Amino acid sequence: MPHATAPSTNESTFLLAALRENVRLDSRPLDAYRPISLTFPSSSPDTYGQSEVRIGKTRVLCVISSEVIAPYPDRKFDGVFTISCEMSPLMGAGVDTGGRPDPSETILTTLLDKSIRRSRSLDTESLCIVAGQKCFSIRADLHILDHDGNLLDACCLALVAALAHYRRPDYEVHGEDVKIFTAQERDGVKLTLRDWPFCVSSSYFEAGTITITDANLLEEQCREGELVVAMTKHGEVVQVAKYGGVAVDALGMLQVVEQNLAKVKMMDGAVKEALARDERERDKGGVMKAELSAENERVMERPVG
Amino acid sequence: MPLDTSSYALAHLRLDGRRWNELRRLHAQTSTQAAADGSSYLEMGNTKVICTVAGPAESRKGGGGGGNAEAKIEVEIGIAGFSGVERKRRGKGDKRTSEMRHTIASAFSANLFAHLYPHSTITVNLHVLSQDGSLLAACLNATTLALIDAGIPMSDYIVACTAGSTASYASNDEDADPLLDLNGLEEQELPFLTVGTLGAGEKVSVLIMETRMQMTRLEAMLAAGVDGCRQIRSILDGVVRAHGKAVLDSAIS
Repeated sequence: MPHATAPSTNESTFLLAALRENVRLDSRPLDAYRPISLTFPSSSPDTYGQSEVRIGKTRVLCVISSEVIAPYPDRKFDGVFTISCEMSPLMGAGVDTGGRPDPSETILTTLLDKSIRRSRSLDTESLCIVAGQKCFSIRADLHILDHDGNLLDACCLALVAALAHYRRPDYEVHGEDVKIFTAQERDGVKLTLRDWPFCVSSSYFEAGTITITDANLLEEQCREGELVVAMTKHGEVVQVAKYGGVAVDALGMLQVVEQNLAKVKMMDGAVKEALARDERERDKGGVMKAELSAENERVMERPVG
Repeated sequence: MPLDTSSYALAHLRLDGRRWNELRRLHAQTSTQAAADGSSYLEMGNTKVICTVAGPAESRKGGGGGGNAEAKIEVEIGIAGFSGVERKRRGKGDKRTSEMRHTIASAFSANLFAHLYPHSTITVNLHVLSQDGSLLAACLNATTLALIDAGIPMSDYIVACTAGSTASYASNDEDADPLLDLNGLEEQELPFLTVGTLGAGEKVSVLIMETRMQMTRLEAMLAAGVDGCRQIRSILDGVVRAHGKAVLDSAIS
């Protein structure tokens, strides 16, 4: 990732010496994530699809928006889904991206693309309104607000959470006419997500003998290799990417993939919990709870015996 | 269907007559271009790649871009419009192409003895003449040969190949065979991964999988891929040694 300051020799030597003794500089276990916080900040109660994720000090904001366009001629039955992630000087000290996208930005966008868009986690056929004429174009914009390592995991988490939260406008088709309702007229409809893939990044040190998960900025700058695994909580691997770097033992890699399942389940739980919390907060007046609950008011007595 | 499941179960032969663990015909030549510092031509089945290497040479940016203690590796890939089934001009800024470039540059940066050439750049130019699956693997293999031909020291060959799986991810068939070295048709339909190892051991340098796969089947595919890389390494090593012997013989006589 572009960053103005490369780590000093002192910092990198200290980091590597500590890792050799199985100690990370912030006293985390080698395979632990920093505290993850996931919220849905939004300007109005009708706005859905904005998520903010913090992993330690790394902060990412994801905003989903949609518009109605004509579908691509070679894909008449599919909607369009694009992911845009731009790096700016906002994210780090003295980062100057200039005009050309930095190679690391391309890699980040590519990995996000592969994990969520090309893996067809978002069902684009459900975005089609009238085949060949109108479809929804969902656009995800990721803004990196602070860079302290592990941008990919944070971006993926924010993206999945925002997609699960977003409601696209409802519509009705009468013959050739399509009426798109605004959020005031009709409640939006959630997107069809097949599953929630999450990325887990692991970094290699010492010729591949030491593996850590969720590297912060300093660890990222000193690492020798990186392995990115995108998985769903059911154990389905959506993509694996190890773009060169130091050569690692194949069996070790498989073990890392297995261990990542627990992390993915943790992230999945975090998204579910955040979504539930947000629904409760938006549900002012308790309408949802009263109308949609199947509970009766009578007290249930435990059967004896 | 690239893998007609009924006939595969009967004879366990793929569409091109191979068994699950057989590589395609691998043909490689080094020193194909006298003008370049190092060059190679590699065919994996119908995937044909030319690679030329220029360097180590002084960095173009001079003092500004310098200050590196190691040589920098730059990769350019040109995919010919006639290489695929349909004619398609691909720009240099294509996402897939830049991902492949990054992979190749990163794999060799960790492997070459780049610290011997500070403040210089090694430029690798790949030209894809025909695509029939295993494109990244063929590019990695061709680059290894060309770098050896250029005389740039490295710790071991980086060899790559693809491995796939017969069962689709939906059916939980435990007896599904992993497949080695997928051709173009198989790559479009089946889940597969590209694995690049450092030499004949089990050290994996590159691993890219873009299709969905059950976690449990990953091990079999990876094992098949690593074994395929071992076979490829011995073939490529034979090519390099044969070329060296030919050069020595012509020098003596």
